[in-house]
Amino acid sequence: MVTKQDVENIAILSKLFVAEEELDDLTRQMQEIVEFADAINNAPDSGEEFDNINNLSNVFREDVVVESLPSEEILKNAPEQAEDHFLVRNHN
Amino acid sequence: MSEIKKIHDMLASKQISCKELTEKYLSAIESDNAELNAYVNVTPDEALKQAEKVDRRIADGEEIGLLEGVPMTLKDNLSTKDIETTCCSKILTGYKPIYNATVWEKLQSEGAVMLGKTNMDEFAMGSSCETSYFGGATNPFNTKYCAGGSSGGVASAVGANIAPYGLGSDTGGSIRQPASFCGIVGLKPTYGAVSRYGLIAYASSLDQIGPITKTVEDASIVFDAISDYDPKDSTCQGRKGAKTFDTVNNDIKGMKIGIAREYLEGVRDDVKEAVLNAVKIYESLGAEVVYFDMPALKFALPVYYIIACAEASSNLGRYDGIRYGYKAEHYNGTHDMMCRTRSEGFGAEVKRRILLGTYVLSAGYYDAYYKKAQNLRGTIVKAFDEAFTKCDFILAPTVPMTAFEMGHAVSDPIETYLTDICTVPVNIAGLPAVSVPCGFNANGMPIGMQLIGNKFSEATILNAANAYEKAAPEKFKETKWGVKL
Amino acid sequence: MKYELVGGFETHVELSTKTKIFCSCTTKFGGEPNTHCCPVCIGLPGTLPKLNRQVVRYAIMAGLATNCEIAEVAKMDRKNYCYPDLPKAYQISEYDKPLCEHGYIELSNGRKIRILRIHIEEDAGKLVHAHGDTYVDYNRGGVPLIEIVTEPDFRSPDEAREYVEKLQQIMRAIGVSDCRMQEGSMRCDVNISVRPEGSDKLGTRTEIKNMNSINNIVKAMEYEYERQIDVIESGSKVIQETLRYDDATNTTSSMRGKEDANDYRYFRDPDLVTILTSREEVEEIRKTLPELPEAKKKRYIEDFDIPEKDASLLTKYRKVSEYFDEAIEGLKNPKTVSNFIIGSIFRRVETEKDKEAFDVSVSPKHLKELVKLIEDKKIQNNLAKKTLEKMLDTGKPCTEFIDESDLGGVDDSALEQMCKNAIEGNPNAVADYKGGKEKALMSLLGNVMKQSRGKADAQAVRAKLIEMIK
Repeated sequence: MVTKQDVENIAILSKLFVAEEELDDLTRQMQEIVEFADAINNAPDSGEEFDNINNLSNVFREDVVVESLPSEEILKNAPEQAEDHFLVRNHN
Repeated sequence: MSEIKKIHDMLASKQISCKELTEKYLSAIESDNAELNAYVNVTPDEALKQAEKVDRRIADGEEIGLLEGVPMTLKDNLSTKDIETTCCSKILTGYKPIYNATVWEKLQSEGAVMLGKTNMDEFAMGSSCETSYFGGATNPFNTKYCAGGSSGGVASAVGANIAPYGLGSDTGGSIRQPASFCGIVGLKPTYGAVSRYGLIAYASSLDQIGPITKTVEDASIVFDAISDYDPKDSTCQGRKGAKTFDTVNNDIKGMKIGIAREYLEGVRDDVKEAVLNAVKIYESLGAEVVYFDMPALKFALPVYYIIACAEASSNLGRYDGIRYGYKAEHYNGTHDMMCRTRSEGFGAEVKRRILLGTYVLSAGYYDAYYKKAQNLRGTIVKAFDEAFTKCDFILAPTVPMTAFEMGHAVSDPIETYLTDICTVPVNIAGLPAVSVPCGFNANGMPIGMQLIGNKFSEATILNAANAYEKAAPEKFKETKWGVKL
Repeated sequence: MKYELVGGFETHVELSTKTKIFCSCTTKFGGEPNTHCCPVCIGLPGTLPKLNRQVVRYAIMAGLATNCEIAEVAKMDRKNYCYPDLPKAYQISEYDKPLCEHGYIELSNGRKIRILRIHIEEDAGKLVHAHGDTYVDYNRGGVPLIEIVTEPDFRSPDEAREYVEKLQQIMRAIGVSDCRMQEGSMRCDVNISVRPEGSDKLGTRTEIKNMNSINNIVKAMEYEYERQIDVIESGSKVIQETLRYDDATNTTSSMRGKEDANDYRYFRDPDLVTILTSREEVEEIRKTLPELPEAKKKRYIEDFDIPEKDASLLTKYRKVSEYFDEAIEGLKNPKTVSNFIIGSIFRRVETEKDKEAFDVSVSPKHLKELVKLIEDKKIQNNLAKKTLEKMLDTGKPCTEFIDESDLGGVDDSALEQMCKNAIEGNPNAVADYKGGKEKALMSLLGNVMKQSRGKADAQAVRAKLIEMIK
């Protein structure tokens, strides 16, 4: 059973605001989706752990420096920047 | 006949210049896109610049490659340097990447001419293209219907001849389903056959990039061009074996087609009939058919949604208004800024999936949902392994129905989830599958079927799909739109 | 009632690889803001991590040097939390299958501090807060870290001090990190609880962060130990929380806020593949490990008869022991070299940082030349010491300060003349010696050595003086 409290908690973890008027609707939807997901509880569990899809291992990069990008490029899409830093103003 | 080859021959024989060709497509986009809403960003300047480059090479008497000068489009979740890439989300509006996706690098090196970026469900989450921030793409067969999703824009553009081909991405059916809805071909490659570097992630362990094309030969040509080892993607191995195009026209006599009964359950009658008719055509071509059960498929849908949403909730955490994209205008403090940016920037479906993903990973629920789903993923992988001991490929409907009417999918999200039933098992098991048109319903809307192969057996399924295309060309219909060459 | 302190450590150590853990940007400390960055380490949409081979190797070396078992199968996980210094909103780390487990470091009191695990992960960027706004620099984001987690095995701040020092020595000796606490390349979080002496139940623990020196760690632990006892004695309960240490006031205070709703939702990172380490690879890496400080110290004490205190100093700094090892090559008495390093050279290398760098003007080869002269009885210890000072001043070899006439000692007739001069010039000392004052001979000896400018063999002078006085 998904409760309003559950939805509020996962919204905080997800960094999302849920407006008071949305909460009932969203809780109901979440409950429906979770019920749908609950179908897996009827599945026989082999208990075997799944590794990765192609069973790949040891894919590495060598420790060789490649020149970084200039800070103008790095900051190019920043909504706000100052003194070569990404900037988060406290208020806006 | 391959559309790409046709265009290539016209360019190489100087029947048309690349610039003229590109202009034809650009003007068709200008006239048709308003109704189709396939493109969200048209890039005429870049396209014409590249076209002129190709023309110079032709004028210099140089031999051009098969994809050189052929116009195309990219789904808007593929990173294109200096060209806005939004995933059709408000949260990425204005974002101009500083790097290229590997697939785009590869196609650029082949001389491709990109016409623009195409529409999709927001962050590839949806089955109708309608969760797009820019509104959904419509179906070229009837614009009252949706193009499907999430790669609806590419499918609509290719189906409407306003792009000869395009690249989409497929996490739970997002290439095959819209290809099926729009009466064209869509290939979802084996997980790891194509580099994901530069594909804006929805669910990393399921996402693959693949071609959406008019014909099977085209899918083969494009797949051969993009499938390669990439040092930037740890999970990418590239194509194993020769080019698929080398064997795409081989005889399929003696090939074994598997039919898992579960794939036909709950499928609409007209779709089932079309698929079974295709089986008959295959038998007439000398293929054998084996029937079997795959009970593990029953759990594929919830397994898919749990895994996909879990990964998505993590992948989409980075949109916080600090480094790129949308940032809330008014806020009080950093935490508030992040929450407002995300709440204002993401659409309803994306938020739902983030919340579900967070839920199944959170303390107390991880074992019951995420861990269990992972274990079941292993079970489904094994079921396919066993199936492929009995057959060369599995034939199944791509979608249990035909295209939805516009507005239908968004009205009931969970009912819409259920329509992914036939496409998601392939992503769970990391397999290749190609969707090809196999008929039309009473309203003239296309029906699609998919050929599912064992890992890295793209050559086999493309060969079999091409054999069908040649035997049943009437299933591949032109629409009224776009460029007529 | 008497209370026992129970402490555990979580130590983050930055690895000295050339590049970051998942991209090819440099790991150099500092740099202009956001100049050591690329699409991968600022988490641009669509980018993917690729693991640096050297990170895995260094972590295994660290594990072997601390007696850990190396996992045959390890994997990378995502630790999800949103913070402006974390560009992907998750840190790639290892959750339930770390590379190294079940190790220990032995302290001088014989107790073993058990190491629960060592795992690899990425560092976050740096935030600068100014007039309420936040400035973000991602240069440090993606620098490789190992996190070394101990069991709650510490019983005193002194054990903590020794552990951190040992950890630094080991990591430096095997060359995986410079472990500079001031620069943040080594960061310790300490868990502390107290319990009545004799109890084997663990009390409620607090975690202290933000200590940038070993002294601060010790002070913070002492403070927190007392604070928790006060809390308990006053009838209250210790609250499980994260505390920040303030070295200006030597107090700890609550860091509330950052850990609201801590649920990291760990899951395997689908962008990275399994790490398999064969037993052969482990042995191959083990073979490349240099001799560890502890073993070295033991060898210096046993083989060279160097006092434990001196052996500790020599092995505390990797560069010093390397210098020592090079200087003693081919010498009969390494102890002399040790005495010179600790007695003379160390006086010029005062700070910890300088000792770490150990950049001295006299090369090990030149020091060896000097000590060789003593061993060959060509010059005396005192002269050698003085010469060393001159060498340290100028950076020139000993041959610049010792001419031919200084070498080869003093012949017998000259020696006799010098002794005669000494006896005649110091009748009081002679009388004292004859009266049974053995020490009086020393002033005569000193006189002769002075005449010979330190060249004479002290033992020969002593014998000659005794003979002549008789």
